[in-house]
Amino acid sequence: MIYDPLDIALMLAKIALVFFVILTLAAYLVFAERKVLAWIQDRKGPNRVGPFGLLQPLADLIKLLTKEDFRPIGADKWLFYLAPAMAAIPAIMIFAVIPFGAPLRLFGHTVQLQVADLHVGLLLFVALSSLAVYGVALGGWASNSKYALLGSIRGLAQLLSYELSMGLSLVPVVMLARSFRLSDIVAAQAGCWFIVYQPLAFMIFLISIAAECKRIPFDLPEAEGELVAGFHTEYSGMRFGLFFVGEYLNIIALGGLAATFFLGGWHGPLLPPVVCFSVKVLAFAFLFIWIRGTLPRLRYDQLMHFGWKILTPLALLNILVTAWWLVLRG
Amino acid sequence: MKIVSDMTALLTGMWITWQHIFRRPVTIQYPEEKRTPYPRYRARIVLTRDPDGGERCVACQLCSAACPVDCISMQSAEAADGRRYAAWFRINFSRCIFCGLCAEACPTLAIQMTPDFEICKRDIMELLYEKEDLLIDGCGKSHDYNFYRHAGIGVTQPRGAGPKEKPPVDVRGLLP
Amino acid sequence: MPKLIIDSISVEVADGTTVLEAAQSVDIPIPHFCWHPALGKAGACRVCAVKLVDGPVKGIQMSCMLPAQDGMVVSTTDPEAVAMRRHVIEWLMINHPHDCPVCDAGGECQLQEFTIAGGHGIRRYTGSKRTHVNQDLGPFIAHEMNRCIQCYRCVRFYQEYAGGTDFGVMGSAGKVYFGRFQDGQLESPFSGNLVDLCPTGVFTDKTARFRARYWDYEMAPSVCQGCSLGCNTTPVARYRELLKTTARQNKAVNGWFICDRGRFANNEVNDPQRPRTPLVDNRESSRDEALDALLLRIAQIEEQYGTGSIAIVGSPRLALEGALLLPLLAQCCSAGALCYFTSQEESDTTLFLTGLLSAERSASQQDVRKSDCIVICGCDPLQEAPMLALAVRQAWRNGGVVYVIGDGIDLPCTFTTVASLDAVPLADAKQPVLICSAANRPDLLAATLKQQTHLKLAVLFPEANSFGAAQLAMAQGAISLERAVASGTIKGIISVEADIPPQLLAGIPFVAALDWRLTEAVRTAQVFLPTTAWVEMDGTAINHEGRAQRFKKVMHPGLPLRGLGPAVHPPHIHRSTPPGGDPQPAWQIVALIIAGLSGERIAEPFSERWKRLRELEAESEGVMTHDL
Ligand code: SF4
Ligand code: SF4
Ligand code: SF4
Ligand code: SF4
Ligand code: FES
Repeated sequence: MIYDPLDIALMLAKIALVFFVILTLAAYLVFAERKVLAWIQDRKGPNRVGPFGLLQPLADLIKLLTKEDFRPIGADKWLFYLAPAMAAIPAIMIFAVIPFGAPLRLFGHTVQLQVADLHVGLLLFVALSSLAVYGVALGGWASNSKYALLGSIRGLAQLLSYELSMGLSLVPVVMLARSFRLSDIVAAQAGCWFIVYQPLAFMIFLISIAAECKRIPFDLPEAEGELVAGFHTEYSGMRFGLFFVGEYLNIIALGGLAATFFLGGWHGPLLPPVVCFSVKVLAFAFLFIWIRGTLPRLRYDQLMHFGWKILTPLALLNILVTAWWLVLRG
Repeated sequence: MKIVSDMTALLTGMWITWQHIFRRPVTIQYPEEKRTPYPRYRARIVLTRDPDGGERCVACQLCSAACPVDCISMQSAEAADGRRYAAWFRINFSRCIFCGLCAEACPTLAIQMTPDFEICKRDIMELLYEKEDLLIDGCGKSHDYNFYRHAGIGVTQPRGAGPKEKPPVDVRGLLP
Repeated sequence: MPKLIIDSISVEVADGTTVLEAAQSVDIPIPHFCWHPALGKAGACRVCAVKLVDGPVKGIQMSCMLPAQDGMVVSTTDPEAVAMRRHVIEWLMINHPHDCPVCDAGGECQLQEFTIAGGHGIRRYTGSKRTHVNQDLGPFIAHEMNRCIQCYRCVRFYQEYAGGTDFGVMGSAGKVYFGRFQDGQLESPFSGNLVDLCPTGVFTDKTARFRARYWDYEMAPSVCQGCSLGCNTTPVARYRELLKTTARQNKAVNGWFICDRGRFANNEVNDPQRPRTPLVDNRESSRDEALDALLLRIAQIEEQYGTGSIAIVGSPRLALEGALLLPLLAQCCSAGALCYFTSQEESDTTLFLTGLLSAERSASQQDVRKSDCIVICGCDPLQEAPMLALAVRQAWRNGGVVYVIGDGIDLPCTFTTVASLDAVPLADAKQPVLICSAANRPDLLAATLKQQTHLKLAVLFPEANSFGAAQLAMAQGAISLERAVASGTIKGIISVEADIPPQLLAGIPFVAALDWRLTEAVRTAQVFLPTTAWVEMDGTAINHEGRAQRFKKVMHPGLPLRGLGPAVHPPHIHRSTPPGGDPQPAWQIVALIIAGLSGERIAEPFSERWKRLRELEAESEGVMTHDL
């Protein structure tokens, strides 16, 4: 294969852009979460740093960077140091396959607004989200602390269980689009979004990604009331920051994927495609925050029960029905 | 249908939180905005004086016994007129949790809580209040109580001259 | 052996036991003011009311006055009894001045306890209170008559138990007054017990006046060091100051009380002049510096004058732990002499008398109290060991006869003066006790003792651990310092809490002292290391009978807070030792010297025959050491 230097330059530019945008977005998502939660609770939220508190993420960053980097006695040094990265990096890598806008025509090239348009993009996403489990599992295990260990065991079980239903809920999407390629899936929704055909799969996917992000009501791995801070109890400073940012990157990535799989990706009325896509991603992010402001945490047995006895069978059933319907339609 | 009622419950919750997003926040922006604490607010502790101007505290150590964080210490002593008083009296405000148990325990109404809650200091040692810092020139919340007028051991008045007291018994008298 | 049921628990008690004691024996508390285990009953306070629901007696009764009888069914919780007690408390409080906040008994007051237990909280009586004028009872005891509840404990103790004559009860009806005929110091050497006995705050310890509250006290079971009787005490400390000493019960030894000499002994411990800092050539130094200097000087002396030129001097007031390590120390610095006594005479008599005392021979205070014939032979118990005089009085109160040999002796009971031991009908007595002291030379006793095998012997030694020192001196073949110095070879003295007269120190080039008192040896010492007083350490003393008793650490050594300037208190820096907190128990310093000389570390002073004392409990009756 011969690469055009321009292609490579464009690729690098896309990577830089995606990096910049999602990291900023993640930082501001933290801010937005604090603000929205505050509003829900009739408070004002952070409003001291900069106008309307807008510089708060910067202040948080400085604080995290200047905090003591602490490692408990008996912790497994390398795993302890690596785990936060293992949690954050897969989340960032997922963005490689998300198409965030309609193809552009630039300098006579057609530029896909997607870092890498793999033909197995969907599978890559499933694989990466499985990898993210390692950050949680190893971080908790390496800390040599009971709270952290309990948190990571919970996290492990929860992520594995809900990955299953998440994966299964995506099968009908692939069946409809007849491709694993994300750009194909988006293209297939040019006329009608898959949410219309697959409302059940969408619901299952939504619930599963909430569990995948370890968000309330599925935040058992870090349940403050029970486990101090769960798997990242022993982390401080920027390593804690990585776990934290990883979580918000995950929200954005999974929101983007949900938009891609069910809400027509960058397709949308009136607005330019990139904006359409961003609006959908942010809407998901807001939904998650809103849910956090509303729902209480599940019990662990309820969580497992729901995952294995309801979501997974439902997803399987959905596949069968979809297949049957597709066969009937020919 | 359980699922319907469950969904309604979830959505009701979401609706309520949604409404709250648009409510006016109740936050008070301290220190720009301040609210006036109520007179019985429990903050900085003072030692008061009785209506006659004497120190009320008799260094009975009940407040220090009641204090759950052990932040009061004192040494009692005897004055020339037999009055028991605190030679030194110290409250460590860096430890005090303003629970008010000391004020409740005090039998002489000496130790009282005031609404002044702004007592932060840069140097923690400055939160060590000695008797001189605690003692005020007034009666605080009760204007007429003087312990020694009621305790029948004759400090502010001769023995047997207090309210509801008979004059001292003449032990050599033979009358019953 | 009557058998009765109290609150549905059945108890069997000895004849003559009161219902109150029977209840106490099964841990049912009944409030009581006038009843006291040592003073017995008076039936004055009426607060011990119980209801007898069945049996030979019925209805509300005073449990302290009522001997237990077969078939009694007693209820302490019957509503009628409870109401009775509540009303009694209420009228006992009618004249109370309501001044607990300024009363030193507050927090350790039986009246407070039983008022709360009785459920009386709010004053209903609207009449006026009777008042009294207080008396000045001297420097030790404060008087506040308005708090009296007329339980008569004080006067029963003072006059009946202790034989005092200058204190009593006056007046009648609601006006009874407990005091002296006029102001003045209480004469009885046991007057301090009024403080412990009075169930309210009429008598309080003036030396500890307005110093602290019960809940702030640092307390531990201890043993009096005032004389060789080893009465059990509970010293009380606060803010690094020994505030007061209270009596602790030990049935075999002091019973319930202690004498004033033992009680009012705070000053020495609290003395601001007490040497508390290590000194090298009168220059203040650290513990380690002083220790190094001491090791160096020992080596120098040996080099200069040859081995055997150092004397290790212990003393009969040194706790057993320290005394036990001295032989080892003597070995380590190849000392020429190991001494436990300074004067030859004291050494001779103490060793001789200790030799006479066996486990069966030696009389405890309890033996004295139980004796029917007591001979006091050339000693003055009231001066030398006051509590023994009190024990003699109890024997006399129980019908015992007291004989005294010698004159100028006073006792709180009547006695017959006889010329010699032969005039005493010892053979007829069931449990005779002979009391003598180390101050006079009672060689002639030996013969009598041989004849009268049932005769017990109580010897009054001058110091708290005289017996222990004598035992060790005998076992180690120690000589007196007087003799050692007379030999002329001694060029260095290491004095461990020893009281050495100046003439013995005069010609000695090197003196080192370990002590907590400012003795002559401390004044002349080139190297001084401060030790802890008995209340500042765990230790053991062997009393006059040979009973080893453990005393526990009451307080941490250090300059009392009282009198410290604002520069030192409140402390604005964190430090692990308080000012003046350098003293260590003597045995630990001796162990450090031994470690410095020989490298051997000693963590446990009790070894070989003394091993049994390791587990000695302070709250026990003690262990007899004759046959260890
Ligand atoms: S309780 Fe009251 S009288 Fe007693 S020491 Fe405290 S402040 Fe003083
Ligand atoms: S307010 Fe509470 S914590 Fe503070 S001094 Fe009083 S009793 Fe202690
Ligand atoms: S002075 Fe004390 S001991 Fe004596 S009668 Fe009164 S209350 Fe009882
Ligand atoms: S008799 Fe001796 S040991 Fe007993 S209290 Fe008095 S001084 Fe102390
Ligand atoms: S204790 Fe029984 S009457 Fe006083």
